[in-house]
Amino acid sequence: MSDLATLQHAFIALLHNENNSLANNIVDQAPLEVCQRLEIYQSAYRIRLRGVLEQDHETLGFYLGDELFEAMMDGYINYYPSQSRSLRQFGERLPEFLRITPPFSEHGILAEIAEFERILLSSFDSGDASLLRWPQLQAIDINQWPNMVLQLHPSVYFFKCAYASVESWRALKEKKTPPLADIHEPHHWLIARGTDHRTGFHPLDKKQWLCLKSIADGMPFSMVCQSIVGEFDDEQTCSMFVIGVLQLGIEQGWFSGVNMLHGTLV
Amino acid sequence: MSVPYLGFGMGLRTCYFEQIISERPAIDWFEIISENYFVSGGKPWYYLSQIKEQYPIVMHGVSMSIGSTDDINTDYLKQLKRTIARVNPAWVSDHLCFSALGDFNSHDLLPMPYTEEALNHLTQRISQVQDYLERPMIFENVSSYLTYKQSHMTEWEFLAQLHKQTGCQFLLDINNVYVSARNHSFSAMDYLNAIPKESIAQIHLAGHQDFDSHIIDTHDEPVCDAVWSLFSEFSQQVSAVSTMIERDDNFPPLAELLAELEHAKALTRTHWG
Repeated sequence: MSDLATLQHAFIALLHNENNSLANNIVDQAPLEVCQRLEIYQSAYRIRLRGVLEQDHETLGFYLGDELFEAMMDGYINYYPSQSRSLRQFGERLPEFLRITPPFSEHGILAEIAEFERILLSSFDSGDASLLRWPQLQAIDINQWPNMVLQLHPSVYFFKCAYASVESWRALKEKKTPPLADIHEPHHWLIARGTDHRTGFHPLDKKQWLCLKSIADGMPFSMVCQSIVGEFDDEQTCSMFVIGVLQLGIEQGWFSGVNMLHGTLV
Repeated sequence: MSVPYLGFGMGLRTCYFEQIISERPAIDWFEIISENYFVSGGKPWYYLSQIKEQYPIVMHGVSMSIGSTDDINTDYLKQLKRTIARVNPAWVSDHLCFSALGDFNSHDLLPMPYTEEALNHLTQRISQVQDYLERPMIFENVSSYLTYKQSHMTEWEFLAQLHKQTGCQFLLDINNVYVSARNHSFSAMDYLNAIPKESIAQIHLAGHQDFDSHIIDTHDEPVCDAVWSLFSEFSQQVSAVSTMIERDDNFPPLAELLAELEHAKALTRTHWG
């Protein structure tokens, strides 16, 4: 290894708290001791990463309380050093850390809240796209509707929860007491960036969830209807329900366009 | 390579987006942090696309890690090149330092030793990066808190030599010069006197935290009197250089930064026009 590479590896080891061999390469200059000079870099490294977690996971911090949030940040920085050039990605593995690291792993809601906050960030700066308008659908011959494939806006994300994580997140954001973590059946959410560029989240019932997931999977309108027809008494009620979901999605800006099954762009 | 003189600019930060769009303040140009625009869309791009219609933009990166001894990160360069194409900046800069090694990223601007080996390494890397990006890059001096025993030249000798070997120009952060000068007990004016004047493409002015025994470069305070003096003296040695106030935290009302910009203009009015 070259001298330069050796020096750089020693610097990184210092930031990792692995060893202090860099000290042997530093000039002793008053008034600061060599160790104080090195501590400036060690502190800056941790302060910067803690700042990112505090900003990106503020509400998780409220849920955990100061002491546990501090412990979480220290543990995460130690075990999951940043591997990305952008600080924006530093917290990407936080849900994983919380899922597998005691004592956080004993409370499944923590990983879910962290995951929800990651999705909010991803939705916030996802790609832009034009929004689908109702007249575009009205312009399609009704006989062709079974073949239309709706495109979700790039900012749309789905989130299925086993705990009351989104409700807790919202309560803490509003400085209210969060509900009990346990819920009887999964809750479904859609996260998307609104036309005001703010990220919003919307509860979905099971039928809306199945319908929108089918759309996300690229199914044409006819198959979207088929995928949930079992939830209804008859096909017509089912079709009307799917049209209702389309109307809601268009109002909320969840769709960016529509293609026809055989490739015609509308 | 020479870059255009753009006048007096400012770091573009999210907290000022709406005010800049609605009030169109008298700022000649803005500098964006390149990596903040590596995302596909959303608010940053929404605002930038409006602001760049009204003002020239330059790009300033913090993560290129030009001095690293590992392989050049082509994923990073790909993203940078894509962003450059979308922004169309007047020029692109980053820092003369290393920040990443292998899979690890410090997100800090870690200093290089001032050695022949580092010089040759940087010369080769700058050439590789410029070839990839198909455009020249400008590099900024970083502030530092330690001196390597291996260094056998001063920082300004190192920069002069690098300029000679590569022809690359520098973004001179006068606050960083002052911070390092105080932390290593050298004369900031010696540094500024010695640096090749034709190598300076842009100037940063910023603030710091002074702990008496040392200074931490925080960019979260107003420019201090000592840095203003250095800027004033240095500006008399060079023809007009695009100069900006760089504030990265503890953001004041925009009017305070505009007042600092006016002060910079006033200090240079007699010789820069």
